[in-house]
Amino acid sequence: MSSSETHSRLKPYHDPDVDTVVNGIMNGDRHMLSRAITLIESLKPEHERKAHEILDRCITKKTSSLRIGITGAPGAGKSTFIEALGELIINQGLTLAVLAIDPSSRQSKGSILGDKARMEKLAARKEAFIRPTASSGYLGGTSPKTHEAIVLCEAAGYDVILVETVGVGQSEVLVDTMVDYILLLMLPGSGDELQGIKRGIMEIADAVAITKTDGDQSGIAAISRAEFEAALRMLPVKHPVWKREVFLTSALTGKGIKEVWENISEFFTAMRKENILETRRREQLNSLLYTVLEEMLKKEFFSHPDVIASKEIIERQVLSTEISPFSGARKLIEAFIPRR
Amino acid sequence: MQEAGATADLELAFTLADGLEYIRTGLKTGLDIDAFAPRLSFFWATGMNYFMEIAKLRAARMLWAKIVGQFNPKNPKSLMLRSHCQTSGWSLTEQDPFNNITRTCLEALAATLGHTQSLHTNALDEAIALPSPFSARIARNTQLYLQEETDITKCIDPWAGSSYVEYLTGELAAKAWKIISDIEAAGGMVKAIEQGVPKLQIEEAATRKQARIDSGKEIIVGVNGYTTTSKTDIELLEVDNTLVLEQQLRRLASIKAERNSEETSLALRAIEDAAASGEGNLLELAVDAARKRATLGEISSACEKTFGRYRAITRLNTSVYMSQMQDNILFKEAQQLADTFAKLEGRQPRIMVSKVGQDGHDRGAKVIAAGFADIGFDVDISPLFQTPEEVVQQALDNDVHLIGISSLAAGHKTLIPKIIEELKAKHREDILVIAGGIIPERDHAFLYEKGVAGIFGPGTVIAEAAANILKQLIARFDQ
Repeated sequence: MSSSETHSRLKPYHDPDVDTVVNGIMNGDRHMLSRAITLIESLKPEHERKAHEILDRCITKKTSSLRIGITGAPGAGKSTFIEALGELIINQGLTLAVLAIDPSSRQSKGSILGDKARMEKLAARKEAFIRPTASSGYLGGTSPKTHEAIVLCEAAGYDVILVETVGVGQSEVLVDTMVDYILLLMLPGSGDELQGIKRGIMEIADAVAITKTDGDQSGIAAISRAEFEAALRMLPVKHPVWKREVFLTSALTGKGIKEVWENISEFFTAMRKENILETRRREQLNSLLYTVLEEMLKKEFFSHPDVIASKEIIERQVLSTEISPFSGARKLIEAFIPRR
Repeated sequence: MQEAGATADLELAFTLADGLEYIRTGLKTGLDIDAFAPRLSFFWATGMNYFMEIAKLRAARMLWAKIVGQFNPKNPKSLMLRSHCQTSGWSLTEQDPFNNITRTCLEALAATLGHTQSLHTNALDEAIALPSPFSARIARNTQLYLQEETDITKCIDPWAGSSYVEYLTGELAAKAWKIISDIEAAGGMVKAIEQGVPKLQIEEAATRKQARIDSGKEIIVGVNGYTTTSKTDIELLEVDNTLVLEQQLRRLASIKAERNSEETSLALRAIEDAAASGEGNLLELAVDAARKRATLGEISSACEKTFGRYRAITRLNTSVYMSQMQDNILFKEAQQLADTFAKLEGRQPRIMVSKVGQDGHDRGAKVIAAGFADIGFDVDISPLFQTPEEVVQQALDNDVHLIGISSLAAGHKTLIPKIIEELKAKHREDILVIAGGIIPERDHAFLYEKGVAGIFGPGTVIAEAAANILKQLIARFDQ
């Protein structure tokens, strides 16, 4: 086949206008939702502008969605658990969006997004929208873009939004600024991981589920449960009205899945009653405003022609200890915003 | 396992470790070791590494006797390893297919000299289509002339005493024994399978092998060396998928209409109950249900209610392909094209690798997925056994730039055009569809006509396929 043949047959990229996308999303068209999430993820300035136009119109829609974060170390059984919980949620008559974040390789920039294969049954349900996203550079995966995707899913009418992230230390805490409820998944016998890096995640968890507690794991699971309960008692309270619990679950047998869902429901009832949910979401918006602002500033700064022009010289001066890094940084800022 | 990419030591170790689990399971139910061990048999793949294959069977017999020996059998037959060998389908090529007769013959010879009890020889068109009567006859005759014309079956263990074969046998046995011991120490083969360990190791080996071929470190005659431009026309078996499906559905319907449905559901209920309570002999009950004309699907669903369905863990070995290809020009070119595309499009190129229809051969799909990810693609993997509609829905949800369909079971002529039609119906003709796997040359024109953007058969260099498709994607920005 000659290449000219191919090119003449190529259709231009699908590029619906803002109105089409917004109307589609508002009418629950998952194809338009999917296109909009792509625009959000894109690094191209014109995509970004379009995405923000769409967002501005979608964010006004009032919904009563539940935003749930599910986190845990690789191998903790997140996908399997989400599939079991997801089916239960759908069987309650609710619709579900799953935003899964998979790590990108730093070296190749590529990624493997296996979520659909891992959640085979859920992927086949039309009530479920599963969108895997490559973390591309955002450590731990969640980014302000995840928050934007949540807003779009809500505008499309999804009742429950599950955000799945890989628990890798500090950056994980960012998920707390975009969901209402965080469930931490742990394997039986992982109690010794409680020290160190896991503490940050434990602090933001609203409940802990120990996974894969079927078969000969039940003995170890019971011990782990006691360890996690003890650990949770030592941590500062996250919400005064909420007591954090530890659940023994098995996606294979269905054990504990219903209890987790009941816990989630109770959580939202309690938070709504005390009006905490609304307050928290406002705080989250506020924190998002500044996160995005910081990112934009950084971008503006580094793409400023005067910064680019003086960067090399200042860098050299710093490296040759002609000036300190502190005054170097100051000089760069001054290139960006001339002192009045 | 070798067909999926396992090296000889992995295949040997995992197969015997499986056998060990069977023995334990048998003993646990109260059976005497001598009551069932002589009836166990093993299925091996036999590839092109001639002496290694002979050594593998010799090492297997030695290790199996050692494994069974732990359980103190009285009957010496319990210690015997009975083997069936199938020559490798993976080693056969689409290019210059008559070479495959020689390949299969060499593999069959290795299996025979390694003393297999039973042998399956593959047809020369294995890499192109399902066997035709012609190719199947040649495959069978390959066995027959080894048996009837060569006298090689007259001698017991003819390679015994060869310093090289004895050395290989010893090395292989030692390596495999170490793997088996590691598996045992970690809780046995069932646990290892649950955690996806063997699968991961096998897929890693497969990706490494592919990279070695793609980079020309290993030569396959007619594929990446000594290639020819002359085309060989051979008569191929044509399967009309739509017709097969219709026939099968009709047969199912008539069986269901004719059987005594009360009797059938009682037999199925008995399976369900036995599965739930753990009492009774499931195999016996399954045979009984089958006699009462229960379908395979119904029998397995009855078991599934209690046991659930096994699902392989999808984990992929990224960076293996890269580690072998780093300095390869094609690989570098593909990476640069991926970068160029990412700059133009604002995100990495995104491909969904799918298998459609009743075709569970996913080695190729996995290797391609890992390779593409190493080149810089975001690679979505869809579940096995998808319908064209499901594939398109997932492609839209994930918003991919292209769909890669891997087909090894002759479903390409119906299923792939259906995917393209479905994309058109959703106004997403911009999503390209490429096909890989076993697709006969004579179907290429038909598929291109239907709108397929590229067909990459056995022997395609992954990096080259990626570069080809990236150029098409990039060309769109010039319009």
